[in-house]
Amino acid sequence: MIANALELMVPILIAALGGVLTERAGVLNIGLEGLILVGAFAAVAGANATGSLAAGLLAGAIAGAALATVYSVACIEMRANIFVAGLATNLLAAGLVPYASALTFGTKGVVRLVAEPGFPRVLGLPLMIVVAVALAIVTSVALFRTPFGMRLRATGGNPQALLARALSPDRYRRIAMVLSGALAGFAGAEVSLRLGVYLPNISAGRGWIALVAVFLGMRHPLGAVGAALVFALFESFAGAAQGFTEIPGTLLLGLPYLITLAAMVGYSAIGRRSRIER
Amino acid sequence: MARRPTTGSLWSSLLAVGAALAVTVVLLGVGSASWGDALEAFFVQPIANRYYFGNMVSLMGYLLLASLGIVIAFRGGLYNLGGEGQLFVGALVGTLAGLAVPGLPGPLGVVLVLLAASLTGALLASVSGILRRAWGTPELITSYLLSAALIPAAEYLITGPANDPARNLLATRTLPEAYWLPRLLVPSELNLAFPLALVVAVMVYLAMFLSVRGYELRLFGLNEEFAVYAGIDPTTYSVGALGLSGALHGLTGGLMVVGTYHAAISGFSGGIGWNAIAVALVGRLHPLGAILSALVFAYLDAGAKASMLHTEFTFELGTIIQAVILLLVTASFVVRGRRR
Repeated sequence: MIANALELMVPILIAALGGVLTERAGVLNIGLEGLILVGAFAAVAGANATGSLAAGLLAGAIAGAALATVYSVACIEMRANIFVAGLATNLLAAGLVPYASALTFGTKGVVRLVAEPGFPRVLGLPLMIVVAVALAIVTSVALFRTPFGMRLRATGGNPQALLARALSPDRYRRIAMVLSGALAGFAGAEVSLRLGVYLPNISAGRGWIALVAVFLGMRHPLGAVGAALVFALFESFAGAAQGFTEIPGTLLLGLPYLITLAAMVGYSAIGRRSRIER
Repeated sequence: MARRPTTGSLWSSLLAVGAALAVTVVLLGVGSASWGDALEAFFVQPIANRYYFGNMVSLMGYLLLASLGIVIAFRGGLYNLGGEGQLFVGALVGTLAGLAVPGLPGPLGVVLVLLAASLTGALLASVSGILRRAWGTPELITSYLLSAALIPAAEYLITGPANDPARNLLATRTLPEAYWLPRLLVPSELNLAFPLALVVAVMVYLAMFLSVRGYELRLFGLNEEFAVYAGIDPTTYSVGALGLSGALHGLTGGLMVVGTYHAAISGFSGGIGWNAIAVALVGRLHPLGAILSALVFAYLDAGAKASMLHTEFTFELGTIIQAVILLLVTASFVVRGRRR
């Protein structure tokens, strides 16, 4: 169960890292769900076109970054409401993926990976777990040990300080959003390439779980590792519970959302009115 | 970047709808064998005969009613992203209430179904309001999560314990015929729910712009701190506005049951909860603007469905249209000074 949980942690963690970046830049990124979805589809499409899983991962990250660029242009260049544009991002993914799928694969449903799914192991651990934790460390160093990270944090915390230095907060917001798109797309790619198939609604709430993992991890990349692991343990437990209880599968579909809701409420209750947004 | 719900200018609404139409025309061109046929189906079919026209107007009523729920929430500065679940679960509870008490005189039965549905929607949405008041949990996230968690539960009830084994459909048993709203344009599904939605729109308009409560709600939405400083009770307007918003979504679900479907069906909400947000924003968060905007969306939706029947490709055209509109509707296209 632990090994399974570690695997389930990977996509949540990687998407949450993107969420940490945007959150630090002052953007509550509710578009993660859609970004994961396009990543998952583009990965299978890219891997099938090239025959390489690495190309698939890259395709997923690029697709996520591309959709996030649209999202950021709407929010920053055209000053759209970030939440409404975030919803639009999710709906755009939900609408465009079946369309692209119908045009390229002749189906808007299941798309199978031609290549052998799964990733190799490094140091006895599945590759993607190593990659995810490494990404968390890199994100942490970039955020807290580099001038770029300091400016990105100032964008969310004190944009006036950037303006005073003739730096543009919008620039850092844009970078954070596109990076979060690449990370979320990569997370989606990891899911579909590990399973060897793209399924409709494959993101299955992971974007929202990742968003809550950002808060639960105290908006810190390393905190996100712990938060993502907690969610993954629950998910793994729920999966196992399906085997030895009478709870029907349909009902369990709602469970991740319920756990996420409980975590969000618990976090804010303990934070005692510390304003999470606005 | 605006965080509070904003209305955008009239130009944003028009441009958003225009852009969505342009995208539609292009996608139909790429995705169908005969562009001309697909376009004709999209633009002409919804108004081609009584049946299609009536169904479109019926959908307009449901969209309008749900979008009024969004108007109230957004005007109060609150995001209700759980409309989909409030509508669906409300419809299911309303149906179950109607099935549990089948012997009432028609009008009373309808009231029972609608009341149960509205109360359910109100309850679900108020949870988010209460959490926001108590601990500052963002209602934006909780309303979505609660709705997403409950939709599978409702689906489970419809396909499992509450399923009608006699019908080969993923639906509950059918309500007694006395509980069905009269149809207005046979053979279409247009029914009494549509004029009711118009009445509610006018009522929301009057309440929002001519009553003290409406004024206080708008003030609360514009600046919460100032409103509290001015002596406005924040609980009334955060929990109350969300509750009312949920009640309208539940009412929409209930009316869809007594008006059109006569049972709760799997996949029943069909995106109306999301569409309502787009309708409300294109209508510039104005109850009367929402009437016009609901008409536009019902037309687009009917067109999307018609073109899907008449072309080889079936795809989520309706979803893409919504997405493009939502992406642009709050955008501002006017260059104002130097950007930060």
